Amino acid sequence: MTRGTEHDLLRLLHGELPPDEARDLQERLRREPELEAAWLRLRRTWEGLSLPPAAPAPPGFSGRVMARARAQGSPGNLSWRAAPAWVRAAAAAALIAGAAAGVGVGRSWPALTAGATSATAATAPVTESSSGTVSALSDASEYNLADGYWDVVDDAARSSPSTADGQEIRR
Amino acid sequence: MATDSSTAAAVDPGWEALARVAAGDSGAFAVVVEGHQERLLRLCERLLGDVEEARDAAQEVFLKAFRKAAEVRPQGQVYTWLYRIAVNHCLNKLRRRKLVRFLRWESPDEREVPAFDPADERAGPAASLDARLRWDATRRALARLPENQRSVVVLVRFEGLSYKQTAEVLGITEGAVESRLVRAMRRLEAAAQEAGGPGVSPGERKR
Repeated sequence: MTRGTEHDLLRLLHGELPPDEARDLQERLRREPELEAAWLRLRRTWEGLSLPPAAPAPPGFSGRVMARARAQGSPGNLSWRAAPAWVRAAAAAALIAGAAAGVGVGRSWPALTAGATSATAATAPVTESSSGTVSALSDASEYNLADGYWDVVDDAARSSPSTADGQEIRR
Repeated sequence: MATDSSTAAAVDPGWEALARVAAGDSGAFAVVVEGHQERLLRLCERLLGDVEEARDAAQEVFLKAFRKAAEVRPQGQVYTWLYRIAVNHCLNKLRRRKLVRFLRWESPDEREVPAFDPADERAGPAASLDARLRWDATRRALARLPENQRSVVVLVRFEGLSYKQTAEVLGITEGAVESRLVRAMRRLEAAAQEAGGPGVSPGERKR
């Protein structure tokens, strides 16, 4: 089965296929037993997915949300633009101090790395970079020592990043 | 709140409530909470697979929405915007959960699928064993999907959204929705086969 047909079967299942294409595909299903078997498997899997009815909202749920919302104050007052100048200045200073500290730690990093690699040398190949620092190769697919961790890393890399308000950042 | 989309406000009265919230009337937010709490709780529960966690998550989602009321641009339906916040919030929780589980050296099955929860109990003794087994199998299958595929399956299968609506909620293209669904279905079919083989019974009739 081609990838296009697989997509079409799924669209047929969800009613997303235009009527004329749906008719054509259903015609093919009647003629091609293999395709029909794939369709039946797909439908069975999809329709087999079942979850219990969701629990109702607990009593007082909206009241608790509203109490917390009121405690936060008006949304307009939560914006950085509305914050007093000294708060914004302090936040900027903290950011700069944090960045400076990060640079300091980064500069001392090669020495730390060189010391630490002796522990990893037994399990991973070691390369020497052009800058002279030593680093262990970490091919996630090859070194499957920590599946869970690499799942997290892979998922994070695959999924689109999002901002705090839930807006997905388009790449 | 940006007010350059008066048509959207006319379509969904929730935008009007959010505009009032942005103008300082915090009480108007009750309209949004009461109008969408059932849907959001259900969505969070289905994404997280845990009732208590879903309640906390839904509260956080509403509070995020409240904080953003002054900045959101009315576009489409309010629930689409709320769903987007909810999906992102729940996916972040799932990622944190996964990391914590890794750090504790737990196996994937130790935490993902809770025992019968209040939602199950609500169904009462009349619910057949078969239905319960299906719920359990579905939860396990969903828990094993990567988060981005899980969210698409939940939105299309259990929330009944179209590809277009799902794409709006997730901020991706309809093609991406379709691709994620295809990949999810391959995994779900494989999981079903592992669990005993779906087989095609002779009496099954196509639609």
